[in-house]
Amino acid sequence: MTVTRKRKSLKRAGENRVRFLVNGNRVDLGIGEEEHQVGYSETLAETLRERLGLTGTKVTCDNGACGTCTVLMDGKAVLSCMTLTVECGGKNITTIEGLRHPETGALDPIQQAFIDEGAFQCGFCTPGIIMSAKALLLENGAPTEHEVKEALSGNFCRCITHYQVVRAVLAAAPGGK
Amino acid sequence: MRSFSYVDAYSVEEAVSALGRFGAKARINAGGTDLMGLLKDEYLPTYPEVLVNVKNIPGLDSVSEEGELLRIGALARLSELGRSPLLLERYPALAEAAYAVASPQIRNVATLAGNLCQDVRCAYYRYPAQVGGAIGCARKHNGPCLAVKGDNRYHAIMGGRKCFAVCPSDTAVALAAFDASLTVIGPHGEHSIPIADFYTPLAHRLKHGELVIRIEVPAVSLPHQRFFKFALRRPIDFAIVSVAVVASVEDGVCSDVRIALGAIAPGPVRATEAEEFLRGKPINDETASAASELALGGVKPLGRNGYKVAIAKSLVKRGLLGEGGNLLKE
Amino acid sequence: MAQEYRHIGKSTPRRDAVDIVTGGVNYLGDLRFQNLLHGKVLRSPHPHALIRKIDTSRAKKLAGVKAVLTWEDVPDWRGGMPPVTRILDQKVRFVGDAVALVAATTEEIAKAALRLIEVEYEILPAVFDIEEAIKPGAPQLYDEFPGNVVSPECPLLGPNPLTGVVTGDVSAGFAEADVVVEGTFGYQNIPNPIPPEPPGVIALWEEPQRVTLWGSSQSPALDKMILSSVIGYDIDIRVHGNPIGGSFGTKIVLWQVETYAILLSRAARLPVKLIYTKEEHLATFVLRPESRIEARVGMKRDGTVTAVSGTWLVGTGNHSTTTQAQVAVGCGEVQIMTRCKNWDLKSAIVCTNRNASGSVRGFGGQELKCAFIPVLCLAMEKLGIDPLEFIKKNYIKPGQGYFWRDGNWYDYRGIDYSAAMEEGARRFGWREKWQGWLKPTSVNGSLRRGVGIGVHGNADIGEDVSEAYIRLGIDGTATLISCVTEHGTGQRSNYLKMVAEVLGLPLEKVFISPSDSIITPFDFGPVGSRGTYAIGSAAIAAAEDARRKLLELAAHIFEVPAEDLDTEDGMIFVKGDPDGGVPWIAVGHERTVLGYGRFEPDFTLANCMTTFVEVEVDTETGKVTLLNVVNATDVGQVIDPQGLEGQLNGCLGSSGIDSALMEETIIDHATGRMLNPNLLDYKWRTFAELPVIENVVLETAVSSHRFRAVGVGEVSTSPGPTAILMAVSNAIGVWLHEYPVTPERVLAALAGVVGGVKGGAR
Repeated sequence: MTVTRKRKSLKRAGENRVRFLVNGNRVDLGIGEEEHQVGYSETLAETLRERLGLTGTKVTCDNGACGTCTVLMDGKAVLSCMTLTVECGGKNITTIEGLRHPETGALDPIQQAFIDEGAFQCGFCTPGIIMSAKALLLENGAPTEHEVKEALSGNFCRCITHYQVVRAVLAAAPGGK
Repeated sequence: MRSFSYVDAYSVEEAVSALGRFGAKARINAGGTDLMGLLKDEYLPTYPEVLVNVKNIPGLDSVSEEGELLRIGALARLSELGRSPLLLERYPALAEAAYAVASPQIRNVATLAGNLCQDVRCAYYRYPAQVGGAIGCARKHNGPCLAVKGDNRYHAIMGGRKCFAVCPSDTAVALAAFDASLTVIGPHGEHSIPIADFYTPLAHRLKHGELVIRIEVPAVSLPHQRFFKFALRRPIDFAIVSVAVVASVEDGVCSDVRIALGAIAPGPVRATEAEEFLRGKPINDETASAASELALGGVKPLGRNGYKVAIAKSLVKRGLLGEGGNLLKE
Repeated sequence: MAQEYRHIGKSTPRRDAVDIVTGGVNYLGDLRFQNLLHGKVLRSPHPHALIRKIDTSRAKKLAGVKAVLTWEDVPDWRGGMPPVTRILDQKVRFVGDAVALVAATTEEIAKAALRLIEVEYEILPAVFDIEEAIKPGAPQLYDEFPGNVVSPECPLLGPNPLTGVVTGDVSAGFAEADVVVEGTFGYQNIPNPIPPEPPGVIALWEEPQRVTLWGSSQSPALDKMILSSVIGYDIDIRVHGNPIGGSFGTKIVLWQVETYAILLSRAARLPVKLIYTKEEHLATFVLRPESRIEARVGMKRDGTVTAVSGTWLVGTGNHSTTTQAQVAVGCGEVQIMTRCKNWDLKSAIVCTNRNASGSVRGFGGQELKCAFIPVLCLAMEKLGIDPLEFIKKNYIKPGQGYFWRDGNWYDYRGIDYSAAMEEGARRFGWREKWQGWLKPTSVNGSLRRGVGIGVHGNADIGEDVSEAYIRLGIDGTATLISCVTEHGTGQRSNYLKMVAEVLGLPLEKVFISPSDSIITPFDFGPVGSRGTYAIGSAAIAAAEDARRKLLELAAHIFEVPAEDLDTEDGMIFVKGDPDGGVPWIAVGHERTVLGYGRFEPDFTLANCMTTFVEVEVDTETGKVTLLNVVNATDVGQVIDPQGLEGQLNGCLGSSGIDSALMEETIIDHATGRMLNPNLLDYKWRTFAELPVIENVVLETAVSSHRFRAVGVGEVSTSPGPTAILMAVSNAIGVWLHEYPVTPERVLAALAGVVGGVKGGAR
């Protein structure tokens, strides 16, 4: 669990920039208060949506309580509304736009399972739910129903599509039945 | 969010130096999950001018048992604590408490020290600036406490003074049962604060310029452990009452027991009278009930939080009797 | 048994499915514009005050600020029902009421500008409790509403909207009753359905009198209609309907946020985006109305209700947006579930110093029934009547009728829902679990189980007008031109199934237009449960009209009457000779075939939802756990099984069942502040706490449109709260009178602990 990363890879001395990967693409942003720069107070959700045009990540509460803005950071589900962009140096971020196969454009099995099960209604919370589910499946290819519910327990869905979502995640689990 | 400036600390020394330099103007950014709430809701009279980022300090997230001491790095993430084999085997009540916090996404970034040092959840105190402005209160030193005569359903039933907000930390409750202490470093070096002394009605005792670097738990062998968090829903909620019970029972008789209650006072409360009562006695319905009465002996509920007493008694009793499953073992 | 169709009744992926799962749906906040300004609202710290002085000079000087508006700058546009509420007023009437508006080049600059506005208030006494508000001497919110009682007129519903149910002779009714009971119950926790996407708008004002809106309205045509009534019919309004991130009935009336953005755009001469934060959404956008009833019910041993009298107090907050209509519909709905000849039920709408109530799924009926059904239950308890038998006996049946929202009597021509109720009871195990009133189903130490049942139905499935066009492409495609937006139910995709079915086309050959008021015909919108019957009828009629026109054009080719022709898969042929067909293109390259369909309101059909719940109450902690839910309904014909399942499972959220368990809006009566305007402190159900839900769906053909279906989406939330109150009361053996049944209330009922308070307030 010990952090062994060198400070050099996080931020190069003398340069006020932040560099990280989003869906496999390199992002390199200047830090500062100018319009073209990322301010210290800018959240990852804002950077993704407003600066990088990745509006697939939706924001509901903007305060850490609903999971709508969930993205993967180094494979783990985190809330992009509670993450400062300047802290993302060296990180590997995956958003909902990054789940499709980069060359063929094929949907990720989890996305297809959501379609097959009709696992959305208004759809606003769906990208966040899918990212939480993706984090689970990366870690555990054969989750139980209980594990699926626990993994998604930080995601708000007001239409109550939970039941169809749980079925979709179980169906998409590579090690599932 | 309003702008602030930002310092990356790559060592404890750098962090202490930066915190010393900026004093009250600085805030520590560890997991950041509570801090973002402060920055977004602007509920305090002054807005932080600088964040000191400690996320990149190496070595502050380890969990190890060394001889007589369990040491947990301040930056250990709650998600890791919730599945730490060491904790699950020897300190399951702490693992449970860590798992009971917030949501999976929050636990992936939230740290143990952050959970202990988070701000209180009083709805008056945290009222967001954007809808009519923040509310002044005793805790902010700019007004009377409105909760004491207002909606205090989630407030303290004991120990409140001027401010009646409760300690919202789940892990603090388990750590109180283990007699843990926080190791704090500041400009004048390290010192240790027992968790029982860490919380006061108006603030916790981490001063500006200081940083928690580790949590130390005297190694114990108390195989009977329970942590219960009672809330309106699970997860993403703060406790209405929480209880940690750790005990050992030999030949049907309680040889050692610690009972800590959370969300009923400004800090976790050890039920020492109940503990003393139980030592040397068998734990059964009768002694557990009597202990639960003793545990809640000194309560002074406010207008709307008397119901917490019944809940707390029930949780103490059930913790002693070992009822209820452990979530992590399902 | 339902008929077999090519598309109807089958699970087909929604048209927007790929976009939803890839993040490709552009909700309002995802739209991108050049030179877009960001609007922000300065909000009142006081629940009731006069603005004595307001100084915006420092805000105006801030670089990037393009417009600052106060009550002194805005036209005297008024909204609400009746329209007395100004866009910005010298008087503020709740914490969060708009004091000033700012538009700036960035959101942060707009927020900074708000901090620079200096306001002096003269604080006025405020009132939060509806019973206090109608007492003499209470603080008055509007000169127009003496005693804080809002006038009952509702122009949309005609000259005589229902304000109560008054008919027959109640004294005679009470005299013939075997038992007469009285009770007071409140559904006053003013829950909020909280769609994830907040309300908002992007507005562009163009000189001299033109407004274009990109909105978050569930119903763009209605939105435009209401907005015109506020800002004037002389202003040309164009509304782009967007995909909606949930509404649950709330995003119908948006005149406040829209007029803020319109005025800022007019002042700044640039497009302005104004989307509420989640805190603003909760603290200043609409809530469910609060409901409190004091009623008397006479009942016979056989479950016949002989008389109902009482007063229904409806709290609407600082103004009414749709409350009169909710009262009217609620009064209609209560008759759908209660056969009774003698009524004297009256209502009063009361305003108080909190944010406004408005339209929410359940629209009046849920509010009335959550307070009224428990009074019926008191009578059933006295007479030992099983509530299942009561609702089967009392729910509307063919040949019976009701006064509906316009004050007129309608004879019901729908189906008997007893079979659905009975099937739901069987699947739930009602007869095994029901032990009698105030008796638990089982007791295991401190854990006591109880069961409850609720019922709801609405004749809104055929309310209001819908229109649609179908444009046929000569290449064998069809486009439905409709202003209906996608707000989560999947109905836009369902209309395509209906159109494809009528035209004999595969689904991939049928398309739907964007919702744009400059192009699309009028549609009241997917409100209530009108989507399937009312909107569906317009789409079907338009498709049938287009098909007829197409075949008429083809008649000369085959030299037979059009009636002898048929079309399938883009081919036209003589009936019985599908191989001798010609493609649609045979009617001519240079041609548009346009069908038009219109649905006229029909209040003679109603849907029905019965909900059975089983709860477990921990009598030591007061915790209530919802174990099982069975929803039983009859939809005539399923259109889309997956969409239907989602709508029925929705019984839990959007202030349905959970509004009886944990949801409430907490207003502090000392300050008027809402104490839980965020998604942490407002409780909602998570994935970790899902009860078992079973949905029982019968398909008994009903005389609606050609697919013989009725909508049920709206009503799934409504029966649940009363079922919960009944189940918990049965489990613990004590009547509970208020929602939600929190541990605090359960323990108070059990042991007389501190509390016994009403509503979410205090």
